[in-house]
Amino acid sequence: MINWNAELAKRLACGEDERRGLGPLIRRFIDLARKTRKEGYLALESEAAQAEDPLLKVGLRLVAEGVSGDDLEDILATYLLANDEKGWPFLRTCATVEGLVSLAAGDENPILIRKLVAYYGADRALSLLQELEGQSP
Amino acid sequence: MIRAIAEAIARGAMRPGGVSRQKKDAIFELSCRVAAIAERSRDSGGATLARDAEAEKRKLLRFGLELLAEGADAARVDFAFEHSPISLDLDAGTKLELASVRAGLVALSAGKHPSVVLRRMTAFLGPEYFDKAGEWLAEKARKRRRREQSLLVPGDLPDLIRSLALDPRSLERTIRVAGRDLAVAALAGCAQESVDLVAGFYGPVGAAAFDDDAAFRRTRLSGDEIGQAQNAFAEVVKNLEAGGELELGPEDEFASDPAFVHELTKAVMALDERSLRAVFKEGDSRILALAMQGLEPRAHERILGLLPHRVAQRLLDAVDDAAILPSREVLVAGKTLAQAVLAQAALAKSGSRESLESFEKVRDWMEDRPTSP
Repeated sequence: MINWNAELAKRLACGEDERRGLGPLIRRFIDLARKTRKEGYLALESEAAQAEDPLLKVGLRLVAEGVSGDDLEDILATYLLANDEKGWPFLRTCATVEGLVSLAAGDENPILIRKLVAYYGADRALSLLQELEGQSP
Repeated sequence: MIRAIAEAIARGAMRPGGVSRQKKDAIFELSCRVAAIAERSRDSGGATLARDAEAEKRKLLRFGLELLAEGADAARVDFAFEHSPISLDLDAGTKLELASVRAGLVALSAGKHPSVVLRRMTAFLGPEYFDKAGEWLAEKARKRRRREQSLLVPGDLPDLIRSLALDPRSLERTIRVAGRDLAVAALAGCAQESVDLVAGFYGPVGAAAFDDDAAFRRTRLSGDEIGQAQNAFAEVVKNLEAGGELELGPEDEFASDPAFVHELTKAVMALDERSLRAVFKEGDSRILALAMQGLEPRAHERILGLLPHRVAQRLLDAVDDAAILPSREVLVAGKTLAQAVLAQAALAKSGSRESLESFEKVRDWMEDRPTSP
């Protein structure tokens, strides 16, 4: 259920150039999903060890541990809001959390991609979707 | 995802930045205490909460535990923390403690596993406490005692799990798509071997949590609820298979030969108590546990009912530890059991004619008929 509030909308706002950074993030999640299907979710532990973003590091380890759904959402939302981010860094971390929750749920790539391109904004989502689906098996 | 973020913003996001290290360490210790209370509460069906509330010195936690002891659900606990005067005029450190305790007690009242309670509470302290919480949970997982399980009557799901497990990625994917809650509820009605197959996907902390949750649901859910969860799980498998996302392994490999199972069960049911007790008391638990995979539940019940508790427990542990055997190996284990019974009967000059004839048929099964098509 989408439960918007004004502060959230304000904090998510950022420029179109910045939002282009979502492309590589989505590709990263496509790779992670592929890895879990091939090697299993415990393989995310080694990905977590290499991750530089603290939220991604923590999230990957939680997913490997079997935390998913609302529990994962609530834990990651708490971590996310512990930092006073806004604009592009906030949008990026929101998309990271969305990707982690989708990964934990075992979503197929088309679903994962659709959940994440939504953060790109309606005006650009379609073109990014076509671009990513052209690359994703 | 926006749901959790929006809700957290609406509650007023808590930032640990302005809070001293000492205070954060104290909140961490408090979180561990709440996780331990959650564990005790699950084990006791909530009976220990009043005692924990009474013993608690921290005002916020005591307030929440008293609510839980009165039977408050997650929504009421959340509401009480939101509107109680206890939440007014707090300094930054106490506000952070309040947010952490509130999240932990809401999780506890919703029946969440203690590891989830701890993760939710320590998230307020930032990622630097993640490893510390992980170490605490790993230590708990190492020290935890395996629960005494009764041998459950297997339905169709254990066979489906075995079949999926031929390709571990297929089983893991199905569990993920079904969701942890549904998977746990469905597996609560299966023997321990099925739970172990799934728990192995999560690493030590996650595996302990999955195993605990299955045991917890087993005591809380009715047979109908478990049946519904198993049907829903089977539906997930069907959908994945129909979508080409899953290929089930050859079911026949693990499907027992019903005629063999029937004959072996008949033999065990007809054998006199003294001979049966002697074979199972003195035999190799591992081999006997394997042979039990070729017996109907009524034969399990008879054998376990005849053995002293300690021996029955040893056998149950061996059943839990035993790998799932293909039908051919179940047959070999059943034949080994038949040979042991016949040898014992010859020595003691015991055993009814009907029973011994059945055991002879089992012993000679390979010569008489094919094991499987």
